[in-house]
Amino acid sequence: MKKHKVMTISLFVIFLILTALNFQSYAASITLRVLSTTIVEKPEGNVERQIAEEFMQKNPDIKIEFIGVPMNNVYAKITTLATGGDMPDIFTNVPQFVAQAADLGIVEDLDELLGPDFIKGFYPNAIREASLNGKLQFIPWFSTPLALLYRGDWFKAEGLAAPQTWDDFVAVAKKLTKDVNNDGKVDRWGFAMLGARNDSAMSRYNCILKTFGAYELRRDTSGNWVTDVDSPKGINALRFFTDLYLKDHVVPPGPTEVSYAEALELMALEKTGMMITGPHSIGGILARNPKLAGKIYSVPVPKKEKHVSFLGVYGFSISKTSKHKDAAVKYLKYLISKENLLEWNRVTGRMPCRIDAGKEPQISGPVYAGFVKAMDYAEAVPNVAFYPEIIDIEGEAVQAVLTGQATPEQAAKKAGEKIRAAIRRAQ
Amino acid sequence: MGERLRTANRRELGGYLFIFPAFLVMLMLVIYPLIYGGYISLFNTNLMARWNLVGLKYYLRILTDSVFWSKIRITISFTFWTVLGHFILGMVLALMLNVKIPGRAVFRAILLTPWLFPEVVVALVWKWLYNPMYGLINHFLVQLHVIAAPISWLGSPSAALPAVIIAAIWKGYPLIMVMLLAGLQAIPQELYEAAQIDGASPIQAFRYITLPGLRYVLVVSLILDTVWWFKHFTIIWVLTQGGPVDATNVISIDIYKTAFEYFRFGEAASMAVIVFFICFLFGYGYRRMLGDEGN
Amino acid sequence: MRGTKRDWKPLIYVGLTLSSLIVIIPILWMFSTSIKTLEETFSIPPRWIPLSPTLDNYINIWKNYPLARYFFNSIFVVSVSTIISLAFSCLAGYGVSRFRFAGKGAFLTFLLATQMFPSIMLLIPYFKLMRTFGLINTYTGLILVYISFTIPFCSWMMLGYFEGIPKELDDAALIDGCNRLRTFLSIILPLTLPGLVATAIYSFLVGWNEYMFALVLTTTTEMKTVAVGIGELIGQYRIAWNDMMTVSILASIPLAIVFLFLQKYLINSLTAGAVKQ
Repeated sequence: MKKHKVMTISLFVIFLILTALNFQSYAASITLRVLSTTIVEKPEGNVERQIAEEFMQKNPDIKIEFIGVPMNNVYAKITTLATGGDMPDIFTNVPQFVAQAADLGIVEDLDELLGPDFIKGFYPNAIREASLNGKLQFIPWFSTPLALLYRGDWFKAEGLAAPQTWDDFVAVAKKLTKDVNNDGKVDRWGFAMLGARNDSAMSRYNCILKTFGAYELRRDTSGNWVTDVDSPKGINALRFFTDLYLKDHVVPPGPTEVSYAEALELMALEKTGMMITGPHSIGGILARNPKLAGKIYSVPVPKKEKHVSFLGVYGFSISKTSKHKDAAVKYLKYLISKENLLEWNRVTGRMPCRIDAGKEPQISGPVYAGFVKAMDYAEAVPNVAFYPEIIDIEGEAVQAVLTGQATPEQAAKKAGEKIRAAIRRAQ
Repeated sequence: MGERLRTANRRELGGYLFIFPAFLVMLMLVIYPLIYGGYISLFNTNLMARWNLVGLKYYLRILTDSVFWSKIRITISFTFWTVLGHFILGMVLALMLNVKIPGRAVFRAILLTPWLFPEVVVALVWKWLYNPMYGLINHFLVQLHVIAAPISWLGSPSAALPAVIIAAIWKGYPLIMVMLLAGLQAIPQELYEAAQIDGASPIQAFRYITLPGLRYVLVVSLILDTVWWFKHFTIIWVLTQGGPVDATNVISIDIYKTAFEYFRFGEAASMAVIVFFICFLFGYGYRRMLGDEGN
Repeated sequence: MRGTKRDWKPLIYVGLTLSSLIVIIPILWMFSTSIKTLEETFSIPPRWIPLSPTLDNYINIWKNYPLARYFFNSIFVVSVSTIISLAFSCLAGYGVSRFRFAGKGAFLTFLLATQMFPSIMLLIPYFKLMRTFGLINTYTGLILVYISFTIPFCSWMMLGYFEGIPKELDDAALIDGCNRLRTFLSIILPLTLPGLVATAIYSFLVGWNEYMFALVLTTTTEMKTVAVGIGELIGQYRIAWNDMMTVSILASIPLAIVFLFLQKYLINSLTAGAVKQ
């Protein structure tokens, strides 16, 4: 008997809890579901959540409900939600995903929703990155332009100047590579190379490739996709990059294991003097090693033929199936208002994509000078659906050379063939 | 005759009643996903706007692709060593933990711990341990003068697969250990005592009493452990992403990339179906080879 | 006999101690990381005992993440799914072991076959299925998924343990007037306790550490499980090493305690005594 009572009561309590949970979401008249990857990061998520809170206070009829997903799993989650017919109103989008998202048919065309006057307020190359065939796919929120971070204090101690060309870069890297504690072994290196077979590593490699005048994927004069990876310039770039490890020995051991997180660690541990990355990395390095405050400078990525940078734009799309598109626009406009962009920049180090915010002294001041300059050199990521395959093929080629399984010529030739096969298959 | 038939019928009905709940759950939850997986393998599809019927095109292409078979070879070698490691470690530890010694509860708890952590955490910890700059393993080996300078284990084409296998063994052996430990309880102690009297050595006792007594548990866990690790994804993905170059590029990594990076779901599904049949062959082979008490 | 056994014991101690030491290194390293500050996390050379050990991580994670909620969700979902999965599996195992009926072999093969399709490709159809039944973001949805994951192995295992128990015991009970269910519940099932405990541990851990399906089948913070919470600490820009290790260690403590209590049932001589007759 007693057992029975306990069971009934506990079942009832569980039932109550479940109902209470279900009722929470009916408080406001409109609920905007926002799928975000930054919301699960720290400190980024705190700022984003705070902005949403303020927005809800100002618009009591709208409730923001975040669906936090780590970036590593975001495509799996978006696809699943899309195929299940359960897309949230707003979702994370980046240039690398734009073509796929459009292909899935889940993106609302933003040109009409926002209007040309509002769109004019963005930096034009941010809009270019966020567009597909001239149609705006997502609202650019921030960018992380690639530049070269370097240890200004080490450069000063060695009497070095910031490198402008790759020849300068090698010379400088060799000077920085040394045995600091005099035990006969090198324990400091010039360059934190990212050699992992993934997007974060290969987007940096592609930046170098383009400074050599070669493109992993570009349209030729008749509008067809072609690749330069196995052209003489492309081979030169691959040889230059891999020689940094194989011949110049300015890279710490195990570059194929190094992805973004590991490279950041190398900088924070004061094991390397230079790294190609965006402005947000400074905060990441300082969080691990506060002693480096004021010692990290930035310049545009060195050049062979020209300087190149990637913007690394990140933003939000509105779902085609959303029932609250106007409310979604309202929230996103609030998110990218000047004050919020400046606050976002202050906490996370990311650059605004709005011109009015970019003109503020906080952005145009000395801290971000190198990155602001780099933005002028920004080139677009080719937004085609098969781009992730290209990245993978390049990663394979770079690793084959780094591990001594192929010469740059062999690896480049194989990669060229594979990329052309991928282009053919996509047509 | 009639009497016997009726009993048999009743017995049958009883059996169906007993398996009904499990069968219903599996039928409701697994059949549709399995059929769906097979169905989309016939299409060039992103599961949304694009649905082009391609028939068996993907199967033909995959089965005639030498790259696919080299990945299957890597997968088999990964699975073989991992499962072998699980069973050797699991068996040895289960036998030792089965002996009544003071403090075995503590040993049992410690030896179970790798099972308690999510795969992704385990993989990240091992990646850290292997790191050439700040990893513990290189630090140990250098201090013990086994190696002169730190080695990039996960970055070396020859060492990456063994390194991944070690992590996979570490993560997976406790399951086998616990299952065997439970299986050992079902072997009557008297058999050992009788063997002792007959003058059997411990090795003979193991060969003729323990192994046959564990046969069923061994077969079932062998089949499922093989199948699970053949399809395994997380640990390899986190440790090497299939690299360097293709050294650890097991088939599940290809399936994942094709589906959720390239969004070619039909092609990924056809690979998955092929994996399904390969696993099925394994299961069939084991059951034939080792005898099957199940039916 | 006694003599030889005693001779083995020192060897067993050495073996167990050695393997425990090797096995526990990564876990000690996790613990060491959980009491480090961010600045000290990575050091060259690696340092076992931090210069300034701190328990701050263990305090702060409760403030920084809705961890209590995650724990409640995990414990609830996984406990219920373990109980259901075990109940169904025991019935199935017993049914297959004690009855002769058509389709028995097919049923067993079917159970195995469900384990053979790469689960990542099941993600989308599972989601569609759950959405059709309105089970996204519910405990029921997750529980159903986890029992469907664990039933095959548990059923096969329980079948094995039932096979180890002489059928004469059933017959004796049936003659004494027990019905099938009664015989199963009160006579046979208790004898398989070690196997029951082993499969329960398996079933519990599968659910506890499952990440991908829990991530996809839940959308609100209120419904997330511990594994999803841990997964969120592995971000695009940084891995929250200290927090991740702290949560992982915390998440393993309840499991370790439960195991310490359960393990005496894992090893007992109940079967041996009963089977003798």
